[in-house]
Amino acid sequence: MHISEGILSTPVLAAGAVLTIGGVTLGLKKMDYEKIPEVAVLSSAFFVASLIHVPLGPTSVHLVLNGLVGVLLGWMAFPSILVALALQALLFQFGGFTVLGVNTFNMAAPAVASYYFFNFLVRRGNRSVTAVAAFLAGALGVGGGTFLIALSLVTTGEEFLSVARLVFLAHLPVMLIEGIITAFCILFIKKVKPEILEVGK
Amino acid sequence: MSQQSTVRGQKDFSKSWDFFEIEKSILILRRSKTFLSRRVGVAISFLLLAAYCLLLPATASAHRVNVYGYAEDGKVFVEGYFVDGTKAMNSLVEVFDAETGEKLLEGKTNKEGVFSFKIPKLTALKLVLTASMGHKNDYTISREEVAEALGRSGTSQESTVRSQQSPVSSEQSEASKQRAGQKEEVTAEGAVSSKEIEQVVAKVLDRKLLPIKNILLKMQEEASRPGMTEIIGGIGYIMGIMGIVLYFKSKNR
Repeated sequence: MHISEGILSTPVLAAGAVLTIGGVTLGLKKMDYEKIPEVAVLSSAFFVASLIHVPLGPTSVHLVLNGLVGVLLGWMAFPSILVALALQALLFQFGGFTVLGVNTFNMAAPAVASYYFFNFLVRRGNRSVTAVAAFLAGALGVGGGTFLIALSLVTTGEEFLSVARLVFLAHLPVMLIEGIITAFCILFIKKVKPEILEVGK
Repeated sequence: MSQQSTVRGQKDFSKSWDFFEIEKSILILRRSKTFLSRRVGVAISFLLLAAYCLLLPATASAHRVNVYGYAEDGKVFVEGYFVDGTKAMNSLVEVFDAETGEKLLEGKTNKEGVFSFKIPKLTALKLVLTASMGHKNDYTISREEVAEALGRSGTSQESTVRSQQSPVSSEQSEASKQRAGQKEEVTAEGAVSSKEIEQVVAKVLDRKLLPIKNILLKMQEEASRPGMTEIIGGIGYIMGIMGIVLYFKSKNR
């Protein structure tokens, strides 16, 4: 889920950087003292999730977890994901520093969206509502991310519909697994430490 | 080589078997729909859908594409693979003259993620591979490697190789003449056979070095994957950043 360096044009890179700076500023403003460790833990979860490939059938899949990060952090998903992606670029040359803005926005924007759509349901709903909302949040994180990647690749001349379809089909299993994992995580958190679900401010 | 091909064969076989199996079970499910209660039917078809999803190629979820190339017998072979080891199939390969930056040719990788072409001219070659979903990487083959591959194939470069060789062989022949004081016929024979020997040695070396080449390729592929130390290190960095942020925020309190 990383776009490599040297593919996107400068206006797209600049737009991504500006949007990410905006999101990160907003996220840092919303971040209280008590929330910092949680942001860091979710940042490491995001960092590790996409590095571990689980072999399944002839191919392998990995988690993205941006939906989970979003539901739990809201706008704070921006700084959290930025740190994780910066380290992946630094340590493994995934993506790169010029595309960091675009890549962060592509992952963090759906995360914030899943916060606005599902955080309330997750907090207030009964067990089954919580599970369904969390599943959808996880799926939306990956789905939205693939949509934004396809959108940013349109500018390179790739045809949007064909790219979007390819990306979507390839990520269907990831969305499914992601949704299930997010549902289990949220259910567990709600049972053990429900105050984590409050994003505050 | 034979081992490789059997492994590939097995893989293909198992893949097709999986799809066949799924289709078969869907058929059985359709036929026996009346016998199953609706809920069980729905559950099973959901599971089958999930299984089908898992069998789709998910190369798009990989992070980085690697490209590697080598020149051999007048040809260049380009291989592309993703970090998780899947081959970069049907990806665009562009070949540039690394010295002038001029584009020489382009092509697409096959099912094994390999693209090969005849060396267009003697120069360093820059191979740029663009896979789907915004993955891109490049690899440069040095002028020396290209020259050697051309020389051995015996095309236009052969004459220069021969002219380079001749002073060496004449030196050798003079040395042998002084040492043994033999007739000139022998030295002529020696010159011919030294070239033959070189060809034979090159052939044998190629064969002997093939497994080592494969091992190196495999190691390179594995080294490009994230290791445990780096993952733990990354978590450490994040915790460190958290500490710094907490420190500055605590001052403000």
